[in-house]
Amino acid sequence: MGETAREVMDTEFFTLRPDLTIAEAVRLFKMASEASGRRVFGMMVLDERGRLAGMLSIYDIFLLIRPKHTHIWGEMGDLDLTGLLDAACRRARNLQVGDIMTTEVLTVAPDTPLLLVIDIMIKKHVRRLPVVEESRVVGIVYLSQVFGHIQDKLTGG
Amino acid sequence: MDKSRGTLQKNVLQGLTVREAMRRQIISLPAGAGFDRCIRALIKYKVNALLVTGHRQEALGVVSKTDLMGAYYAGLPLTTPLQDIMVGPPRFCRADDSLDAALDVMRAHRIHRLYVEEEQGGQAAGVLAYPDIVGLLYRYCHRCDRSILRSGKTGADLAEHLTVREVMTPGVEAVAESAGLAQVMEALAAARLAAVLVRDETGLPVGVVSKTDLILAYLHGLPHATPARTIMNFPVQDLPQDEMLALAVQQMIFSDIHRLFVYKEDHRDIVGVLSLSDAARFRSGACRACLTSRIKI
Repeated sequence: MGETAREVMDTEFFTLRPDLTIAEAVRLFKMASEASGRRVFGMMVLDERGRLAGMLSIYDIFLLIRPKHTHIWGEMGDLDLTGLLDAACRRARNLQVGDIMTTEVLTVAPDTPLLLVIDIMIKKHVRRLPVVEESRVVGIVYLSQVFGHIQDKLTGG
Repeated sequence: MDKSRGTLQKNVLQGLTVREAMRRQIISLPAGAGFDRCIRALIKYKVNALLVTGHRQEALGVVSKTDLMGAYYAGLPLTTPLQDIMVGPPRFCRADDSLDAALDVMRAHRIHRLYVEEEQGGQAAGVLAYPDIVGLLYRYCHRCDRSILRSGKTGADLAEHLTVREVMTPGVEAVAESAGLAQVMEALAAARLAAVLVRDETGLPVGVVSKTDLILAYLHGLPHATPARTIMNFPVQDLPQDEMLALAVQQMIFSDIHRLFVYKEDHRDIVGVLSLSDAARFRSGACRACLTSRIKI
């Protein structure tokens, strides 16, 4: 069968609940980064039954804090932007994870071949894929781990 | 808007086309998507409505925060497909249409956005909404030598600039902070407003409930009897009625604020609301100098 998602997936991972605030979620991002030793930019969201409800990534949070009218900023060199980022972050803090999470999430099974995982990551521009078995989340595959796994093969080492 | 003003005066938007103000990013969902997904998209992309599309990405209808508020009021499940409440077909304009004509259509049909049609196929290539038109007006005023948005303006110069009171929608709809969400929705629907002021028992304005807050309450499954104070935003974003329009528009555009409440003497005395839609409908930019020159045209 060759290498599969099972060989590269992380089986220890932090997750979020939909009713957490964005502030609480970002604190968990920080904790997960410290625990794993790498920057965590997205986490799975599980419902009360432990099933995958969605994903929250920093992209979702960036969309929330990005001002809507940035297209007219370009020509305004004299614009005073002091405090705007702080205000946007203040507004975002109290929203809930479930308010902005992405619910259309691509998943793979533990037995999904690694080459197919790579194909999905390329085609769908995703950096992480939840691994689901019988409706339960059993792991997560990160792009960095996939690359780590094939590094030796690529260098001939 | 004053009718005589509309007929006598040309406006800043004259000569501009839809293409110059339209937004090319269209937020859309398939007709079978549920309300929950729609609410998340509206919140995340900070839009008031999204396009509902068919299998070939053709535009079928529009679902707005108002439609979702109606669904919440009616007690529809969040899993209901968008096709059940969408308003369709969407109203289209062309990228080469004049912005003035597009605004006339929006006003005549009491709609807040027009989709921009591609050559064929019934697909949308862009969307034109009031905030985008205000953005264009703001850019126009910012470039102008008379702009108060840049430094060096004197008191004499300020006299020719429009104030908030000249453009705002006068009057304000308010509810008590103990009012249930059903009552808030009834007040918004009756007055065709996007937000309502919340007052405490002494009459002091203490917060605002908008349609955004209500669709979030819907997503969170809050019952209709939930008091307004539970979901209101505070403090009230307000400004004095004699504030310069240009500065108010600047504040709304750069802080992503949809509306500002307007007070007369002090913060208790709210006399109107200024929204980006008000500023767009006015069409005149932010100062009288433009109006004078236009009468001569």
